Amino acid sequence: MTFMQKVERFRRALWTWRQPLTRRPSAPAVPISDLFVWRNSSEWTTNFELIDIPGLFSDGERGLSKHVTLLLFDQRGRQFLKKKMELLPGRRQTINLAAFLSETNGEMGTFAVFHSSSPPELEPIGSFLAERGYVSYRYRDAPLRAYVHGNLDAIAQGPDGELQLLGGRSFLSREYSLQHELQPGVVYELGMVNPTPTAQRCICKSISVHSGKIIGVQVVNLVPGGIQLVPIRADKSEPVRLVIQSHLVMARPLVFRIQNLKLDVFHG
Amino acid sequence: MSYYPILKAPGASGWTTLCNFPPNNWEVRHRGDQWVNVTWLSEGRWLTESLGTLAVGGMRTVTDQELAGRVPADALALLSLTRAPPPAQSDTLPKLDTPLTTTPAWRATLGLATDAAQTSYQGELDPFPPQGTLLTFGPFLQFGVGLENHLILLNVENSAVSRSSELEIFDAGGLGLKGKFKVRNNAANLIPLDGLDLGPEDLPLFICRGMAAIPLYFSQTSDGAFLSLEHTHPPGSLVVHGKRWEAQKLLKNRWFAKVTP
Repeated sequence: MTFMQKVERFRRALWTWRQPLTRRPSAPAVPISDLFVWRNSSEWTTNFELIDIPGLFSDGERGLSKHVTLLLFDQRGRQFLKKKMELLPGRRQTINLAAFLSETNGEMGTFAVFHSSSPPELEPIGSFLAERGYVSYRYRDAPLRAYVHGNLDAIAQGPDGELQLLGGRSFLSREYSLQHELQPGVVYELGMVNPTPTAQRCICKSISVHSGKIIGVQVVNLVPGGIQLVPIRADKSEPVRLVIQSHLVMARPLVFRIQNLKLDVFHG
Repeated sequence: MSYYPILKAPGASGWTTLCNFPPNNWEVRHRGDQWVNVTWLSEGRWLTESLGTLAVGGMRTVTDQELAGRVPADALALLSLTRAPPPAQSDTLPKLDTPLTTTPAWRATLGLATDAAQTSYQGELDPFPPQGTLLTFGPFLQFGVGLENHLILLNVENSAVSRSSELEIFDAGGLGLKGKFKVRNNAANLIPLDGLDLGPEDLPLFICRGMAAIPLYFSQTSDGAFLSLEHTHPPGSLVVHGKRWEAQKLLKNRWFAKVTP
């Protein structure tokens, strides 16, 4: 290995050593879930596609039970609902979360879906069952819902129901650049979730695509397990891009894009 | 670095926005202007043309209309960013000379648009090995008057030799075969999902035993006023940590044996 290769390896280690994107749960064979974002108001409804994931690995002949525990959290990460839901093998259940939400819960929060059993095949290979499934949002009275997949292995549920946030933290402040052009006159809202067990401060910088200059800065403070919706409005005359500075290993937001009352939603 | 396709779907036009900046500030050290290229398959060869340069920190949107006349309508247009222009012709897909990132991958915004709406996701496309296969469960079908659902099956391979395989669609619960479609490599295969006798509680299972692909689901109202686009996970994404590829293999072996075409 050359000297420069050693320097590069050391430099990379500063960013990766003991800074995993997702930490391993402290208990074996426990289920993991995304912290999915829910929105609920006169304008928003949220649906989740419930699938029997353990049943995809085996038919249940070994006594795998068939239910999930749905946990709903408010904006500050406080659990306010726990609901057991039966799974239908090989079927899809579109769960409208409005059935479990009221005005007192606020207009946004997160939810987790924990499967009651883990396929025994996973433990020998060191893997954990992860619910990172599919959420759809309906904006106003649109005839079509907009889908987005989960990608944040955020939280585990231990054998006694205890919850463990799994998001990794970085020693160094790092930047996440959204590879999307924010266009003038379009409404953007970033769903930013903190999957770590400590409070996080995120600095969202709007940067002119043309000049490269910072034209707006917003500071977002996130409690553990908490979520904030951050409105971003591009300048009226020029497109911008977004950089998020934080100690999150990967501060990728959920992006809601609304133009002419039409919704597009995607993960950063 | 990856390729970035321009998508195709009925009644909608494809567009892709490239970004000449990495998704984070710690994986890539070299930064500079890059060439924007388009690569497509023509008569058994990969052809590439450069579309100019993109300044560091810049973004550029390329539309299917912009490429009309350059890239045949039935070919998959693959955009790329490179430090030097790739060869104009080659038998294998040009290897790109630009850096990789993993947390996350260096992506583009891939979208579809009508006059009234647009939909997009953050994505990239890397060549699949020819021995690859596809298994995925797709609960994205939407039902209602005037709603249309399509699967866009994206494949690219290094080889310029055309080949085809068969996509099988099953109901994962009853295991009934709902449809069989011929799909091509190096293409965005468009599969209509309506009229397959799949209901709102059916979990569609998509299998391709001879080709790997990215499965995208595009739904729209018949007037194009509302759109939705998203991909489903490969089976390995149903688990985290450990030997995820073993979980993927386990699921593929199980389901490939469980359902017969």
